[in-house]
Amino acid sequence: MARFIETELTLDHQYDPKTSRHYLNNQLSVLHCHHYATLYSQLADDVEFVDGKKLLADVAEDTFYSVLQEYFDANSIVTVNDKISIAEQYFAATGLGQMNVVYLGHESAEVELVHSHVDEGWIKKWGKRQAPVNFITQGYIAALVSLVNNKSTKNYQVIEEESIVSGAKRSLFKAVLQ
Amino acid sequence: MAINRSKIIDDMSKIKIIGNDEGLVPAFNVFITQLPAAFWNSFADRLTNMVQPELLEPAEYLLVNAAHECGYHTGYGIITSEEWNAVVQPMVEKVPEDILYGAYAILTAWGWGKAEIVELIPGKKKVVRAYDYYESDVVKYGKSGKKSAYMLRGVCAAFMDLAYGGQYDSTGKTGLHTFKCEQVKGIECGDPYGEFVVTKA
Repeated sequence: MARFIETELTLDHQYDPKTSRHYLNNQLSVLHCHHYATLYSQLADDVEFVDGKKLLADVAEDTFYSVLQEYFDANSIVTVNDKISIAEQYFAATGLGQMNVVYLGHESAEVELVHSHVDEGWIKKWGKRQAPVNFITQGYIAALVSLVNNKSTKNYQVIEEESIVSGAKRSLFKAVLQ
Repeated sequence: MAINRSKIIDDMSKIKIIGNDEGLVPAFNVFITQLPAAFWNSFADRLTNMVQPELLEPAEYLLVNAAHECGYHTGYGIITSEEWNAVVQPMVEKVPEDILYGAYAILTAWGWGKAEIVELIPGKKKVVRAYDYYESDVVKYGKSGKKSAYMLRGVCAAFMDLAYGGQYDSTGKTGLHTFKCEQVKGIECGDPYGEFVVTKA
């Protein structure tokens, strides 16, 4: 019986013993814990001399835009469904959490996290708080929506409307074309 | 048996990390991510180059502190893990010095930096050299006047906290920040290696 095959993320992990560096799909990658991610997020939230939240989201958008685009190009990922599926799988594979794209269009998108490294790490470290902290995922979503719509970075504003860190069952992000 | 650094690196560098059904990696009593080094480097480099000169030191402190806490808690998780007990613990003869040497083999295996202790005065001072580390990638040409290995600085101090700072405290209220680290050389600054000097805080 015929069956549909879902596009699966392929991860190629290489370790270079000469430099002691790890590569995931040719991208130099490093392991870090939730203390590191949450302290970076706290730093971004607290820092007064620059807009740290925007900076962290921008860095995430630039980084993951490049990573996902490179993967799409190398693996001939061209359909909207496949791009979204790969982005959700990559998010989970790297330990960032469980992401579901609710819908994605040209003007807007809605994305939920059922599990979140940053939120659950924050709760584990400091407990709940009212304001959102997942600036990294804001950037990740901006990158994904831009790539699916064949746009460059910094075209979508992403706002976190509900947050696991605040006690919600899921985090909910909305992206809007600027 | 003394610490066999090359065997530890060989064994521990083979560990494959991947998210579970919830997209999380619970390991060593923490949640782990495996992200592009460029992400961490970009945030640190942009932040430290955006701030006014008088605010550079506070910004650098915050970046080092993130790694200091990370190194303390994750370091403890590592040296009490099943993997550690299987690979490193049988080599440990002298505590805590052998644990420290073993921890740098793990640090190297995990890709934080190809680093080793070159001088150790128990309880007082440690000098570490890193012959390759991802944080030096912020410079591709020429020499920077700013040493950029904030993560290694924090982790080097944290490992001394674990070795000589008293009993591990999961709240971080005691034990943490009993040592501080200064980076005195950097590949990103044109030196052949990064060098880190850890002393009592």
